[in-house]
Amino acid sequence: MSAEVKLMPLQQAYDDLLNRSLSRIPSELGRLIYLASTREYNTGHYYHQGLADRFGPEAAQKALEIAHRQTFYKVSACSLEDLVEELERYLASTKEEPLECLNAWQKLEPYRIAVPADVNGTVARLFTSNLRLALAILRFRQGQNRQIR
Amino acid sequence: MIGTTGALVAAAALLLLLIAWTRADKALRDLPFGSEAWTSGLEEGAELEACPPEFASQIFSSGDLAYVERLDSRELERQFHHERDGVALLWVRQTSAAVQRIMRRHVEASRRSRDIDFMTEARIFLQYARLRAACALMFVGIGLAGAQGVRGVALYADQLTQRISQVAREFDAGLRAREMKDARPS
Repeated sequence: MSAEVKLMPLQQAYDDLLNRSLSRIPSELGRLIYLASTREYNTGHYYHQGLADRFGPEAAQKALEIAHRQTFYKVSACSLEDLVEELERYLASTKEEPLECLNAWQKLEPYRIAVPADVNGTVARLFTSNLRLALAILRFRQGQNRQIR
Repeated sequence: MIGTTGALVAAAALLLLLIAWTRADKALRDLPFGSEAWTSGLEEGAELEACPPEFASQIFSSGDLAYVERLDSRELERQFHHERDGVALLWVRQTSAAVQRIMRRHVEASRRSRDIDFMTEARIFLQYARLRAACALMFVGIGLAGAQGVRGVALYADQLTQRISQVAREFDAGLRAREMKDARPS
């Protein structure tokens, strides 16, 4: 990122991202998935049309990158119990069939692409490990609910 | 008689140590290094930073285990131990690698310095030795008692890592300031 990215547009772009886009997403995990989805797979660059139009592409890219890393560390620091709740909230918000989502997440592990570049290796491992556990716990709970019915 | 008992106890302790080491080593090898590219840096010595301090208490926390135990599922408990012990072992490796790197840098800086304080150097070396011993203990301890069983040692190791980093950083900053002062034309 060039040094031309001035602090003010970057701060403004970051605040705008927080207040307009991220505040509408009900869960921290949802925010993380959203931010990861603004990253181009081939180049690793972040892109957000509205943000780039208002604050310039560089400030937008940097703001997204910072927000992605911060949200990632926040989710990784969650206790397992909180992460299970986050995951439940996220699955409920997707409007997809929760069981189908759960199956896909366990098989394909799409959350792996939610890890930002250049984060600490152990924290990245903790994140994927906790998500695997949270998914297993949700699956276990569903089995229990079915038995009760 | 005491000799035979002593030998048996020592053999049992050695066997236990060997089992713990083998288990920890197996758990570490089971980590999906190949598929998780972000951990490959450890293999090449490129992983430079120690894990952020707030995550040590999270990794070795007994709160998550208590939560899983409340769910009353053997399978979930087994999976939890497998997952968390793997992360804990990675933390130990990363901490050990990071502090080795810090010490290597510090030794290089010390060689350039003209006024080495023996007491400071001895203190840093002592902390380094303690930390390496703690890492070895944790490596075996995780195999024996799981990540939660070595929480105290892990938090101590984490504090030591912060202290060594801090002292080494201050030493580096002082050395650089002196070098710049010496380089200035008088």
